[in-house]
Amino acid sequence: MAAPAGGVRSHYSALDARISTLTPDELAERQKTQERFFLLQGITFTVYGAESSTERIIPTDILPRIIPAAEWARIEAGLTQRLRALNMFLADIYSEQKILMDGVVPRELVLQAPSYRREMQNLYVPHKAYANVCGSDLIRQPNGEFAVLEDNLRVPSGVSYMLANREASKRVFPGTFRGAGVRSIDRYPDMLLTTLKSMAADWRPNPQVAVLTPGVYNSAYYEHAYLARLMGVPLVEGRDLVVHENMVYMRTTTGLRRIDVIYRRVDDDFIDPLTFRRDSSLGAAGLFNAYRAGNVVICNAPGTGVADDKAVYAYVPEIIRYYLNEDAILPNIETYLCREPAQLSHVLANLDKLVVKAVGASGGYGMLVGPHSTKAQQDEFAAALKADPANYIAQPTIQLSTAPCLIDHAVEQRHVDLRPFILSGEKIIVTPGALTRVALKKGSLVVNSSQGGGSKDTWVLAETKGSAR
Amino acid sequence: MMLARVADSLYWIGRYVERAEHMCRLSDVMLNATLDRSDAANLVASIALSAVGDPEMAKAKTPYDAALALALDRTDHLSIYSSIAMARENARQVRDQITTETWERLNLIYLRMNDPAARGSFEGGSQLFLHDTIADLHLFKGAGDATMSHGEGWSFLLLGVYLERAQLIGSLLEVVFGEGRKRKPVTDHFALTSVLRMGCALEPYLRVYTAEMQPRYILEFLTLDEDFPRSIRFCTDQIETHLSAIIRHAGMAGRVGPDRLAGRLRARLQYADMDELETLGASPFLKTVLDECSAIHRSLYDAFVAYPLEERLPA
Repeated sequence: MAAPAGGVRSHYSALDARISTLTPDELAERQKTQERFFLLQGITFTVYGAESSTERIIPTDILPRIIPAAEWARIEAGLTQRLRALNMFLADIYSEQKILMDGVVPRELVLQAPSYRREMQNLYVPHKAYANVCGSDLIRQPNGEFAVLEDNLRVPSGVSYMLANREASKRVFPGTFRGAGVRSIDRYPDMLLTTLKSMAADWRPNPQVAVLTPGVYNSAYYEHAYLARLMGVPLVEGRDLVVHENMVYMRTTTGLRRIDVIYRRVDDDFIDPLTFRRDSSLGAAGLFNAYRAGNVVICNAPGTGVADDKAVYAYVPEIIRYYLNEDAILPNIETYLCREPAQLSHVLANLDKLVVKAVGASGGYGMLVGPHSTKAQQDEFAAALKADPANYIAQPTIQLSTAPCLIDHAVEQRHVDLRPFILSGEKIIVTPGALTRVALKKGSLVVNSSQGGGSKDTWVLAETKGSAR
Repeated sequence: MMLARVADSLYWIGRYVERAEHMCRLSDVMLNATLDRSDAANLVASIALSAVGDPEMAKAKTPYDAALALALDRTDHLSIYSSIAMARENARQVRDQITTETWERLNLIYLRMNDPAARGSFEGGSQLFLHDTIADLHLFKGAGDATMSHGEGWSFLLLGVYLERAQLIGSLLEVVFGEGRKRKPVTDHFALTSVLRMGCALEPYLRVYTAEMQPRYILEFLTLDEDFPRSIRFCTDQIETHLSAIIRHAGMAGRVGPDRLAGRLRARLQYADMDELETLGASPFLKTVLDECSAIHRSLYDAFVAYPLEERLPA
C-alpha cells in the first residue's frame, strides 16, 4: 500500500480513509463478523484431537488488497499468453514432440518427469485445452512488476476462498466497495461450467458435467461442494461412478445416468486404479479407458503436471517464444537448474542466499530458505543436491511485496502473493480477481495455508473514464 | 434424478434430526420430573430410558445424570450430540444439495453442541439448553421448508423424518402400553402427563380430551389421531405421500415395493378401531407397525439406493 515516496498509493486512498475513521475495536468487531461468516458457512478444516474435534477457519484478513486497472491489464495479457503457450506445449509433448526434437527443452527433463503420463500420448483433447483450470502464483517485485513464481496446472484450489472473501468483504466494507469500482467475480462458476461444457460440445449437445471429489475428509472438500452447488451439477465420489463398456455413469435413485465431463479434484495418480495407482479407491476403475475412447472428458487432462514442474518452469519463457514467437509478458523468477553442473556449483556455493526447492514437492515442503536456515540444514541440502541434482532447482530469495493486514487490532504490513485463476476451454478467460495469500507471521515469507498462511479479498479495479488516477 | 448416495444422506439427515429432537424432549421431561416427587421421577426416567432402548435401567435412579448423558455423551450413538453430529456430517456430504440457509441452521446447532463450553451451559441451565436446541431444530426444518425445492431430495429428507418419528413414538407407546412391559400399568397422573410431553402432545391432547388423563385416550391420540403431527397415523400418511412423490419423480410408478408397504401401513392405521385395539392388545399392533416401518426402510434401499447394478445397466 505504501508508495515509494512515502504516503499511500493512490488506489488505496479511499480504503485508507475509511479505515482511519474506525477505532481499533470497530475493526476487530468487523474481523470477528467475517470469521463468524466463515465458520457458519462451514469454510473450515477439522482438527482431530484425542477427545474431540474442533473446527477451525482458514485465517482471513478483512482488509482487501487492491490492484489498479493498468496493472491488471498486464497480468491478464501475461497469463493468457502463458496458458496458451503451456497448452500448446502439452499438446506438442503428448503428440509430435517438436519442441524436444528442436532441443528447446531437454528431452529427458520432460520424459523422465514423474508427472509425464505416456498414457496421454496421441490422445485427442478438444481445443487442445489440457489445463482447463489454472491457478498461477504471482509476486509483485520491488520494481512494481508482477512475475510468475509458479504455475499450477494439476488441480489448483483456492477459488472458493476468492469467492467467499469477496462475499465477506462486501459485508465488511460495503460503502468503500460500492465507490471503488471493483470488477465482479460472481461469474466464475458459470464461466467454469461453460468451459467444462465446451470440452464435450462437439459430440454431446448438452453434456452432463459432474465434479469428482475425493470426499468429505479432503481439506478442499468445501470448495468441491461449493463449486458443484454454484454450477448446479452433481458432486460425485468414486463410489458413485460405474464404468460400463467405456461409458461413465453415476448411480442415481432412478438408475444409471451417463456423465460426459468430469471436473476432477482428484490427483492423476488416483483417478483410475486400472491405469494409475492400483490401491486408489478415489476414482473409478476404467475411467481412463472411457476417456481414451472419447466417451468422457477428464478436466484437467491427466499429465498436465509436466508443464508446471519446477524445472520445466525455467524454460517457460523459451516455450512462449517457441510457440507464439513473442516475449513473455510476465517474467519468470531467475532459476538455477541444479541438473546443469555449472549452475549446481553456483548453488552449492551460495546455499545461504538461495531458496532451494525439490522439483516434485509442493505446499512449501521440501524447501530450504537459505537466509533463514542453519548450517546443519544447509549441509543436509548440499548432500541431497549432490546425490540427486536433477531433483532440485534454486532461486534467489525473493522479496514478496506487502499489503496492509489487521493484526491484533492494528494495521500492519504482511507479505503476500497473488493467485489468479485462468480458465481454458474453447477460449481462455482470466477471472478479474484473485486469491491473495498472506504470510500472517511477521516477517514470514511462507503463504501456504498449511504453514500459517491466510488469505484476503483482492479488488481488481475497473478502468475509470477520464480520471487517470 | 439425484445420486443414490445423496438420497441416502438426505434421508439420514431427516432421521437424525428427528431423533435428536425426540431425545431432547425425553431428556427435558426426565429433568422436569426430577423437580417433582422422586418416585414419579424414577418412573418417568425408566419410561424414557426404556423408550430409547437403554439396557442399563440402573441409570433411572439418577435421572439428572441420565439426562446429561443422553444429551452430551459423545461415545453413546443414541445421544443428542451423536445424532446432531451425524446429521451434520451427512449434510456436509451433500452440502451442494441443501441450501445455505438450511445448512447454516444445522451447522449452528452442531457448533454449539461441539463447543467445549456445551457441558457448562447444560449444567448452568439444562432446560434452557434443551429448549434452545429443540427450537433450533425447528428452525432447521423451517428453513428447509422455506428455501429448499420440494422435490425428490426434500421427500427423501421428510421420509427420514416421518419414518423415524413413527418408530420413536411406536417404541414409546410400546413401553407404556405394551403387554411385554415388566412394570405395572402406568396410571400415575404425573407419569401420564410426562408421556404426552415426551411426544410433544400435551397441549393438543388437552384440546381434544380435556385434562382427563386416561391411558386409553393417550394411546388413541398418539396412535390414531388424524391431525396431530406426532401420531403414528399422521406419520404413515406422510410416509406414503413422500414415497409416492419419490416414485413419481423417478418415473417408477407401479414397479417398486416400498409404496405397497407404505400404502398397507397407512390403511392399517386409517381403518384401525380403538375397541379392537384394546381387545386384542396394543402390543401386537404396535409391533406390526414397527416391523412394517423397518420393512419400508429396507425396501427403500433395495429400490433407490443399494439396487443391484446388473438390473440397471443400459441395454
